[in-house]
Amino acid sequence: MAAPLRPTSLRNLNLLLRAAPRFVQNQFRAHSTSSVNPEEVSHFNALASTWWDPHGSSRLLHLMNPLRHDFIRGCHASQPRPAPTSNLRYLDIGCGGGIFAESAARLPSTGSVTAIDPSPEVLAVAKGHARRDPGLQGKLTYLNTSIEELPQPKSIEEQYDVLSLFEVIEHITHPADFLDTCAPFVKPGGWIVMSTIARTWASWLTTKVVAEDIARIVPRGTHDWDKYINEEELRGYFLRERGWNSPRVMGVVYIPGLGWKEVAGSERVGNYFFGIRKDEN
Amino acid sequence: MKPSPAAVQPRQLGNYICSSCTHRLRRHRRSYATISSSGKPSIYDVVCVGGGPAGLSLLAALRSSPATANLKVALVESQDLSKTRDLSLPPNRFSNRCSSLTPSSVRFLDGIGAWKHVKRERVQGYTEMQVWDGVSGARIEFDWNAEQAAGGEGRPIAFMNENPNLTSGLLKRIDALGGVEIMDGERVENIGFGEESEEVDLSMWPVVELSGGKRLAARLLVGADGANSPVRAFAGIESRGWDYERHGVVATLEMKGSGWGGEEFKTAYQRFLPTGPVAMLPLPGNYSTLVWSTTPALAAHLKTLSPMDFIAMVNAAFRLSPVDLAYMHTQASGQADEFSWRAQHTEFDMQRVPQQVVGVQEGSVASFPLKLRHADTYIGERVALVGDAAHTIHPLAGQGLNQGQGDVESLIKTINYAVTHGQDIGVQMSLEQYNAERYAANNMLLGVCDKLHKLYAIESGPLVGLRSIGLRAVNSLGPLKRFMVSQASDGVKIL
Repeated sequence: MAAPLRPTSLRNLNLLLRAAPRFVQNQFRAHSTSSVNPEEVSHFNALASTWWDPHGSSRLLHLMNPLRHDFIRGCHASQPRPAPTSNLRYLDIGCGGGIFAESAARLPSTGSVTAIDPSPEVLAVAKGHARRDPGLQGKLTYLNTSIEELPQPKSIEEQYDVLSLFEVIEHITHPADFLDTCAPFVKPGGWIVMSTIARTWASWLTTKVVAEDIARIVPRGTHDWDKYINEEELRGYFLRERGWNSPRVMGVVYIPGLGWKEVAGSERVGNYFFGIRKDEN
Repeated sequence: MKPSPAAVQPRQLGNYICSSCTHRLRRHRRSYATISSSGKPSIYDVVCVGGGPAGLSLLAALRSSPATANLKVALVESQDLSKTRDLSLPPNRFSNRCSSLTPSSVRFLDGIGAWKHVKRERVQGYTEMQVWDGVSGARIEFDWNAEQAAGGEGRPIAFMNENPNLTSGLLKRIDALGGVEIMDGERVENIGFGEESEEVDLSMWPVVELSGGKRLAARLLVGADGANSPVRAFAGIESRGWDYERHGVVATLEMKGSGWGGEEFKTAYQRFLPTGPVAMLPLPGNYSTLVWSTTPALAAHLKTLSPMDFIAMVNAAFRLSPVDLAYMHTQASGQADEFSWRAQHTEFDMQRVPQQVVGVQEGSVASFPLKLRHADTYIGERVALVGDAAHTIHPLAGQGLNQGQGDVESLIKTINYAVTHGQDIGVQMSLEQYNAERYAANNMLLGVCDKLHKLYAIESGPLVGLRSIGLRAVNSLGPLKRFMVSQASDGVKIL
């Protein structure tokens, strides 16, 4: 299953620097209270009608979906104390047509799934599709909202065991802020799991989360081999500082004729899953 | 399962339903629903139509696996299953419906907890096979014990078992597990689509209507309903193939002894005659089961013979030349005398043919037409086909029932994966793996058996020499033969 987090490679750093202008540009956009990028929303509105077409543009997502559950299982299995096996609460952010949300709601270990998406058209597709499966009734709730507008949980019971961000993070304008917004929704000991099509998840983490800090801690131009080790240590420190632990990553590759396969080390070049666990106290 | 095919509404859809078709479909369904709707259907995860070996294995497997034990499942079978449950034949009587179970089928049945419910004293393993060409006499022998002495594995090539013994064992396992809603003695009147209401939209779910008035909506509708599958007709899946113009004559036979190797080392015999292969397969004690593939006319002739003459024809089929045999087929009666005279003038190695048949069980001589059929696909939206609903094979390699067990094992694996990953087990996307895994494998086997049948139907000409060279060559090459035997007992029987 998922391997522990690997050190960021030189290649990632290069990608990170190349990707920088986009993020810089984003910084100057008018700040709204929402993480939602309006251009991205209209893009997904256009995709809505083909979301559940098994031979349409979402086929690869459909095929990838089982691996999301494998990854979450791997996260749970890595805990020192086993995760609960029933009544798990999921919050699926950017649920789209509901590929993951529906599948999570079908698992016997699931108590409830709350799935949110800012696009009303996409959410209408999701709701319409969920009606075709009577087994989902009472377990799956769709809300047309952004995470910022979702009322924050008032107790541990209202928090979630798994907060999922599948193929979402690369569409977010300010990922670091976004993650901070997500944090109160996660139960102590719960997980944020995500996947991304980006070149590297590390390019996101290092750019938006670490780099903003590292930029101050680590002088520019000192990125040599010794410093990578330091950087790894720093990231660990950073995670701890913000109340997260146990980062896990799983690289997957799509092989035509075989489907999605876990390939160790492929997180450096292709699609990945990434999970972090909230500190228990 | 034999509901009248006319009652089945063929699904006017391809494998994939686009949104505009869905719209049309809904309108169609609504008008239909006003006619015969009799209340809301009960909703099931799996509805299996057909309570034969494939359907019962599927249900036993679903109930015995922890991942799928929570699924709501139902079985629809037109026959009364209480007869299947209490199989009570004395030890000297055997059903004429026997099948060869490969070790992989037995392994699967054991894994789902059904094998221990099968009456083992009625099952006969065999460790040797004698296969020969009736025209040229070329021969191939598979002897597991010799293979074992040479360093191979010692285990039966396959097990002969009565089909009712298997279905009875499977039903006992299902009864012990509980949780299957069994609707037996009920015919399928119609298969249509469900309704759309405020809360749920079942307009793409198959709904099975039973003669008793029940309506079952199925997340996944499994057609284990035989060669004339109503489920396949509903799904609009074509089944193609041809008839062999041959009938399989079956009978339960009493032999002179328990075989040349005794109870421990039983042998299966198959001789390729120009009219088709004749096979003698061992049962416990002094009994054997016969499968004689021949022309419909000769099959009809065999069924008219007195027990003594029938016995003589069977003994002749494994010993005399095709010419002698053809002559005996022209006799209205008197084959017993004819055989004893002709056998004296024919040379054969007694140890390499079955022992003499001395009796035939009353009422056990029957025949059925042989055909090849293969469905275009095994899956549709919310539909999966297993066993004879998906394919019908020539019985010469005894693979029909094993193919069905292989289908079920694969479908179970596919359903298991879907359930543990939150997939809807009925949608085609979840079922793709099943079709991919089984279609090519079954197609290969159907083709091999078909070619073998055609190859050995030739009486003269260069092909007779070639096929004999082939058999002799294989027989003299130990490693190749070992490979073929291992293939045979692992589900792909080539010869």
